[in-house]
Amino acid sequence: MNTPKDLLTIEALSDEDIHSILDRTAEMKAIFTGRQNSNVLAGRSVLTLFYEPSTRTRSSFELAARKLSADVTTFSVATSSVVKGESVHDTIDTLMSMHMDYIIVRHKNSGIPGVIAKHCKASVINAGDGAHAHPSQAFLDAFTLREKFDSLAGKRIVIVGDILHSRVARSTSLMMQRLGASVAYMGPGSLVPTTAHTGIPRFTDWDTVFEWHPDVVYLLRVQNERMDSPFFPAADYHQAFGVTEERLLRLDAMDACIMHPGPVNRGVELCDAAMDYRNNLVCNQVENGVAARMSILSYLHPSTLSL
Amino acid sequence: MTSTYILNATWAPTGEVFDLRLTPGSSHCVAELGGITIRDAKVYPSGKMSIPTGATRVIDATGKLFLPALFDMHAKVEIAGRSKRESVSRTGQAAIQGGVWGMLVMPTAGFVFDNAATLDSFQDAVSQRSAAEMFPAGCISLGMEGTQQAPYNTLAARGVSILSDGGAPPTDLLMLHRAMKYAAELGLTFAIRGDVPALSAGTCIHPGTTAYKLGLRSTPPCAEEIGIETIIRLAQDAGAALHIQTVSTAKGVESIRRAKAAGCRITAEVALHHLIYTHENIGDYDTNFKTVPPLREQADADALLAGLKDGTIDCIVSDHTPCPPFDKKQDFSTAPQGMTALDYFLPQLYSKLVATGKLTWEELVRTCCLNPCRIAGPEIDEEEPDGIPLLLFDPQTTGTISAASLPSGTINTPLLGQTICGTVTLPLQ
Repeated sequence: MNTPKDLLTIEALSDEDIHSILDRTAEMKAIFTGRQNSNVLAGRSVLTLFYEPSTRTRSSFELAARKLSADVTTFSVATSSVVKGESVHDTIDTLMSMHMDYIIVRHKNSGIPGVIAKHCKASVINAGDGAHAHPSQAFLDAFTLREKFDSLAGKRIVIVGDILHSRVARSTSLMMQRLGASVAYMGPGSLVPTTAHTGIPRFTDWDTVFEWHPDVVYLLRVQNERMDSPFFPAADYHQAFGVTEERLLRLDAMDACIMHPGPVNRGVELCDAAMDYRNNLVCNQVENGVAARMSILSYLHPSTLSL
Repeated sequence: MTSTYILNATWAPTGEVFDLRLTPGSSHCVAELGGITIRDAKVYPSGKMSIPTGATRVIDATGKLFLPALFDMHAKVEIAGRSKRESVSRTGQAAIQGGVWGMLVMPTAGFVFDNAATLDSFQDAVSQRSAAEMFPAGCISLGMEGTQQAPYNTLAARGVSILSDGGAPPTDLLMLHRAMKYAAELGLTFAIRGDVPALSAGTCIHPGTTAYKLGLRSTPPCAEEIGIETIIRLAQDAGAALHIQTVSTAKGVESIRRAKAAGCRITAEVALHHLIYTHENIGDYDTNFKTVPPLREQADADALLAGLKDGTIDCIVSDHTPCPPFDKKQDFSTAPQGMTALDYFLPQLYSKLVATGKLTWEELVRTCCLNPCRIAGPEIDEEEPDGIPLLLFDPQTTGTISAASLPSGTINTPLLGQTICGTVTLPLQ
């Protein structure tokens, strides 16, 4: 089977790709939680190229690559010539001279990983680009829910908050739909694009969310760093759109799960009690992130290898 | 003087067949067809032209169309990385291949038409290097910075009749209002795009399914509508003539229709790409489809076409914008806006609008030649002996577009690799 060179979006993957990566994630999780290593990437070079600050995703990818016995290089943008105005193309040319097989890239501009993928033979993994896509997050989310429910078919997932700036919402909603779940959005009008553009139904308040009986409430982080001017009155956010203690009780009564891509703004998206809620899957998401990324790395086929 | 004899050519606006005698540089040789003054030509009913024995230049134009060459009132000539002279020369060649005999050139970073010296050196380059006529649009503000008026008397004395800051939306309305009051008395027309910078800053796409899918920041269409209303009211108050550039939205068309009905002295243009493409063409971040204003919905394209047909919109322009190839390879939000369109302007107009029945030849001649000449070009009324040159158009030919077939020397066009109908012969002599 020809596996793809890059992981840029969920859209670009076949159903077979999606199921293969999810199935393989279970095997990888056994290796990872069993404190073992695999040799599948022995002798290969993996580069993490993060133009945006990130601790979790970067550590998760680096750990995943090391668990597969790859050589891992961290390219630190803040101290490189990139800050002197070097173009992405020139940076990549430099890095390809170091014979990288996998480039894991995060950038604030949508579409940059695609630009890099066209330009080089290494497998490019999109670790988040602007408001466009975050496919590895979608895999770890899907895997986490598959562990919980066995199948996502017929499940209801509401994604709450800043949809406009969220690559997580875009990738995870697509993944959930591909796996047979129903997805809805909820959030303030200034942060949720219209259904005519998204194709995803939108709720404007929690009451309608509860009437819909969601199996999963997926809270998004309020991304102040992407807002050049205010999109909403900050003082009201938690009361209007967060999981308050009262709402947590209602979620508990319907046995709904809570997810969040992290890092959580306590008291904004979630009240403190929600962090200790029995169906809070945030830590499962982080743990499964390493396994999902091991699976992704082992699945892709860089063109550097066909030479 | 050697004449060229053309037999059985079809006058595109009416479909009548004529014979033509073309004699370059003969000021006595001016024809008039359908109210259009034509340069260097005599027109005869088919079969009524006598060809002197020994005439060497005889062309059988059976099946080919003739029409006045086009005038493009919105083009940029600056090609980054090339000299100004070469930019002028290549853009002139591109225009001629595309059936455009003259154009209004927008000021750009390399051609800041806010002083006499720049205008003089540009006009020198045009007279020495360009196959097409080029008329510079003077700057509204010094350095196109939007803060201080350019020297309008000096610009007018150099033949400037249109002022524009090259597509930059007005940021300082007080400066613009005063500029309009001043320059209106010099007979200058303001060419401005409707936009509200506070709403459109940092955006690069129309809000819609593509913007959502690609995660790109979008320009609300109301920015254009509010911008158009604003400049119309400013121009009205100041008594200035206003030409509204690159209208892209249905609501923008509606604003102009209302203002024209109320008797405002305004004209308006649409870029060809807003008539034939939508935001969906952007697909997976194709930067060749990044334009300002952005490509909109099909309903907007339909409204723009309806506006052209009912006279709300006066002209179709190329908005020809050469970009360095490397810059267009950047990500969508970083890449510069604009596409080139002059190289195949008439073949594109024909293939996408005339051949599809959306626009008649008569409407094409009106919106791509007569109206733009009236607004921005030389006088073409009966007292003016010069007239417009003719071109021949063969709609039967097809060809595949490659970098080598783009005389502008820039490849930021979605046409690369496409098949296109029609070939232009210009000049005819």
